[in-house]
Amino acid sequence: MEAIVKRIILEVKNGDEQAFAELVELYKDKVYQVAYRMVGNAHEAQDVAQEAFLRAYTNLDSFDSNRKFSTWIFRIATNVAIDRLRKKKPDFHLQDQVKGSENLTYESQLAADQALPEDQIVTMEMQEWVQDEINQLPVKYRTAIILKYIEDLSLKEISDILDLPISTVKTRIHRGREALRKRMRHL
Amino acid sequence: MKCEKSYEHLIHKYLDGDTSSEERKRLEAHLNECPHCLGHVRELKKAIAFVQSASHIEAPANFTNQVMANLPQKKSTSKTKSKWKR
Repeated sequence: MEAIVKRIILEVKNGDEQAFAELVELYKDKVYQVAYRMVGNAHEAQDVAQEAFLRAYTNLDSFDSNRKFSTWIFRIATNVAIDRLRKKKPDFHLQDQVKGSENLTYESQLAADQALPEDQIVTMEMQEWVQDEINQLPVKYRTAIILKYIEDLSLKEISDILDLPISTVKTRIHRGREALRKRMRHL
Repeated sequence: MKCEKSYEHLIHKYLDGDTSSEERKRLEAHLNECPHCLGHVRELKKAIAFVQSASHIEAPANFTNQVMANLPQKKSTSKTKSKWKR
């Protein structure tokens, strides 16, 4: 795999633009998957994954081919996704008062989402529910949990992707696991 | 409930596969007599299993073509490099 990737990257660097399509084919599902799990919907996932490949193409000269391409493209993809999520932050707070109301907050208007009623869970698509729970995690923990449990990467690889010491990656995974446990334990 | 905090670290170490055989024995012995910690481990394992059950998704069919259609201008010589490189 790495030998093929090295060959393709060399071809692209030598000016064969079309060779890049081979690289996209090899990594598109992994990159799209990370993007999808990070942002939580297909439309934005496509944007994020596409942007990640375009950035990789533009910066290919700075890629050290002694390293794993997957680590590099995952790093780009998670960064693009995190940027996107930062920009998307809601511009209102749930604790804000609803306009023209007294003592009514947006929060009080929402159905309790801490523990959904059982029948609702049963009807809800399981997949949708898992994704929803992942999206409830703070971004730091979400990224680590996705790379660990959905992409099935080693702590060393995750530490390379996120450019964080392994001990920090572990802490994020521990906290992510605890947050998920608290939300999922009643099922 | 009292011991949960002190064992929490060991539980996560165990889930990371980082425990020594001695630590694992200590944890196992504790889990045999502490329903709280045992419950904690089970809940964590359940949460992990839920996340792992998330099915693998594939990129849309037209994905590669879309990326290729959006590639920036091809560099011709190294002189023009700085123009398109951001």
